Amino acid sequence: MVGNDLVDLQFAKSESNWQRKGFLEKQFTIKEQQLILHATNSFNVVWRLWSMKEAAYKIVTQQHEKRFFAPHKFECSFISEAEGIVFFEKNKFFTTTFFNSFYCHTIAQKTNDKLAVFSSVGMPETIDCEIKKRLQELTGVLVEEISQRKSSVGAPLYYQKEKIVTNSCSISHHGNYGAFAFTLQK
Amino acid sequence: MTKEELITKLSAIVKPYIQNEEAFKSLNENTDFINDLEINSANLVDIILDIEDEFDIEIDNDSMEQMLSVKATVEIIQKKMNI
Repeated sequence: MVGNDLVDLQFAKSESNWQRKGFLEKQFTIKEQQLILHATNSFNVVWRLWSMKEAAYKIVTQQHEKRFFAPHKFECSFISEAEGIVFFEKNKFFTTTFFNSFYCHTIAQKTNDKLAVFSSVGMPETIDCEIKKRLQELTGVLVEEISQRKSSVGAPLYYQKEKIVTNSCSISHHGNYGAFAFTLQK
Repeated sequence: MTKEELITKLSAIVKPYIQNEEAFKSLNENTDFINDLEINSANLVDIILDIEDEFDIEIDNDSMEQMLSVKATVEIIQKKMNI
């Protein structure tokens, strides 16, 4: 199972004000608020934590097909500059976050097995096309034969006719960027 | 306050965050904030804070959890305002 979340940092700067009264309290646990307030770059920590929570949420909704908005239930810890863990109820998700000056992209997994995940960041309009191209490269199935379907909660799945090709797939859009992460059917 | 008045106030609150104009024009009880209006999840918190200010209520985490549609949000506001 894989989930991913992308934050366009310029867009986040203009569209969200993390310093707004009440914003941190609604979104983050006390422990996370401490991480943010003690950081040298609080803005980056806010969006790293947020993308970790969202990436983990996208795994949960693939499993349970139920949507909800409970950022407090996903508690994040940092392991290293890029790696982290998100705890949700009895589950534990492993995350890797990539930062540059344009965006922050987190991939979350149920196991700590990075090799099995295929992912990329691009433009929002071309993400579907890029996934199909990557699937063609990996499986030999032609792009024209691959189609996207949605699960009942809107999680994307890719099919070759009636045969499901992706085991787990997550698409994220924010501002000028789009991103995907998927694993293949064994 | 009637339910219609509540929905009118709520639509003014969500307007700055919507990304799908067409869905906003036909906003109704069944409208979903993320699937229909394409609001960024990070902005859901802004909407909740705006609702707290506008209606002078406090929204706890359990209520916030369900606030993904107009219908659920209206019900929570009504409950908190005892109307």
